Amino acid sequence: MHSDFIITGMYLVLMFAAGLFFSKNIKNTADYFLAARSAPWFWIMGSIWATNIGFLHGYLAHGGAAYEWGLIQANFEWFQGPFGYILSGIFFIAFYWRSGIFTVPQFLERRYGTGLSTVYSFAWLIIFVVTIAAELYLGAMFLKNILHIPFWPTLFVLAGVVGTYTLMGGLGAAIMMEFVQFVIMMIGTMPLLFILLHFVGGFAGIKNVLLTQWAVSPQYFTVLPDIHHPYGPGPWIILGQCLVVTLGWCAGHQSMVQRNLGARSLYDAKLGYVAAAIPKTLGAFLYIVPMIAAPIVFSQLGIFVEKSDAAYGKLILHLLPQGMLGLFIAGLLSAGLSSISSVLNSSSTMVIKDFYERFLAKGKSDHHYFIAGRIATFGIIAASILLVPIVLKVYLIMWLEQTLLAMVLGPFMGVLLLAIFWRRANTPGSLAGFLTGAAFAIFIQQVLGIKIFFQISWWSFVVTFLVTIVVSLLTAPPKKEKIEGLTWESDFEAMVGEIAEKRAEKTAAKVREIPQRTITRPPWYLNLKYWATAILLVQIVLLFFFG
Amino acid sequence: MRKVPFFLAVMLLFVFARTIVAQEKFIDVRQAMADSLTSVKTAVKNNDWDGAFSHFQKAKSIWEQEVKPMITGGVKTDTQYEEYFKRIAEIEGNLNGLAQLLEARKSEDIEPKANAIIWGISHHPRGFAVPKPRYTAWDWVFGLGIGIGFCLLATVFGLHLRRSYYRRYKKIAR
Repeated sequence: MHSDFIITGMYLVLMFAAGLFFSKNIKNTADYFLAARSAPWFWIMGSIWATNIGFLHGYLAHGGAAYEWGLIQANFEWFQGPFGYILSGIFFIAFYWRSGIFTVPQFLERRYGTGLSTVYSFAWLIIFVVTIAAELYLGAMFLKNILHIPFWPTLFVLAGVVGTYTLMGGLGAAIMMEFVQFVIMMIGTMPLLFILLHFVGGFAGIKNVLLTQWAVSPQYFTVLPDIHHPYGPGPWIILGQCLVVTLGWCAGHQSMVQRNLGARSLYDAKLGYVAAAIPKTLGAFLYIVPMIAAPIVFSQLGIFVEKSDAAYGKLILHLLPQGMLGLFIAGLLSAGLSSISSVLNSSSTMVIKDFYERFLAKGKSDHHYFIAGRIATFGIIAASILLVPIVLKVYLIMWLEQTLLAMVLGPFMGVLLLAIFWRRANTPGSLAGFLTGAAFAIFIQQVLGIKIFFQISWWSFVVTFLVTIVVSLLTAPPKKEKIEGLTWESDFEAMVGEIAEKRAEKTAAKVREIPQRTITRPPWYLNLKYWATAILLVQIVLLFFFG
Repeated sequence: MRKVPFFLAVMLLFVFARTIVAQEKFIDVRQAMADSLTSVKTAVKNNDWDGAFSHFQKAKSIWEQEVKPMITGGVKTDTQYEEYFKRIAEIEGNLNGLAQLLEARKSEDIEPKANAIIWGISHHPRGFAVPKPRYTAWDWVFGLGIGIGFCLLATVFGLHLRRSYYRRYKKIAR
């Protein structure tokens, strides 16, 4: 155990030093973008995966959900995750680049106006606060189980560390740091699968014990269960999660979209996003499949598990050899902390830019907003800590977070698709559609008692889509010049540079240099189409065997 | 006005404080019972039978005085206690079995029995109890409709995007 402590400590010190080294030359936001714009596709790939995977999305919460409901959880890693990555990489990211748009609220503001952008930011702010609360809770519980230290003091220390880290501005080197974390996490956590499979006698051994000896439901081993499944009915997974939430997450989550800004070219951004589907697919073997076998290990070794979200920590504590455990803890901690930090940074920026600067204190000095940003960061951390008791009460963190996401991303996908593909969609229509869709999602969850978040996201998407169309048709169409460069039918080649530059001058917003469209033929082994096709074929094979 | 968020936060803490304390305690007492049972296994391996019996008594006392009353009391108001309530008889049977094994000093059977008790007080996956898959005709229609519909939509939409893209970038792209 001592060697684990030493490895964990050394790793964290090294990461901290590397962070300081990388961020030394980064003095402001513009420097950050310029410095990061040199990232090749494989850095983007690692960074996207490390951003996506933290305590919540990945090892602890996804692993916990896999322990609770079985292989169904792999649908996040196998077909819907890669589907969202590929489609966002090929289509949405390219669209954002060509439109001269680099953040989603920015796109919504330009296409639909301030109203929807503010509502969208507010909805994400709620999700971010819950996300930070969940991440802090999972991290504190993980450390409690591994190091046998009290829960609440650990949670406060974690909150203090991550708050200080964010306030120091450690995000400047995020992409480089996340790539290192990606490599460490892959190397550090893959051995668990082999150790575990050896322990239980392979995948056949798991099935033999659970299906034959314990008479567990066969649906525990299905990625797409039947429509009567209480957690995730197959058809609803495809409709509500694959087509709505995951796509909305990949195309609309600020941290995910932002990673692509660091790419040295549009092609690197696209390939980076598509290639991130590979570690995403492998993720199921890191934290889903091991958790299917976990009940056997726990019962045979006599390991106490208080709840699903704690199961992964208990498993690695008892199965990983000395040294490897330290490496694993370090990798997981830094991934978790970087996820919290990036969400914290995004949420405090949102509070200042979308609310404080816009409604409460217009035209103040940069220093004023800088101080307000720090206070906002502290306030968000405090609000998240206050939410932990509610999070603690939830039987599965995944369920809480996904339900909230369904309520926001269902309406978001409705207005986003119409924004891009239907020139007639206008401001009143989108605002009415988004608010009605979100209200409908809350209604079916709270009043009708629908607890399956896949259904909530689908129906809120449908309602938003229809209401936006109806209200848009009943009100005046948007002005042509307002939407030019923001819809699929726009003549980007002619418009993009001019429009973006004019808007930049007008709003004094930081808009990066518009990349010139150059047709370059990549080598065959970096051809986007081959990568996307190969990854999708792998998903089909996995579905064939585990569907 | 500025004090409103502070008072709201304090109220929130009061509202949830009782639940948090109860949940934390339910985890802690089961953990203490599991630790005592682990100590039983260790003592038996070291041939320390007095120690093993003492640890077992401690585990049994935690069960009778803390864990079981929390389960029987909690099940009336909170569904999370239901799974443990259903396993009370099984856990007590295993505790009695372990007592007999300790008295008979059957060291080889003690570890599996202690493990069974620890697993009994642990949280079990809900997915274990999901009904077997069943597909009605409507399910097939719905499922196939989604599958085929999605493929058709993706193909038509993809072709539309491709055509509109090349229409605009014809000169450069070809």
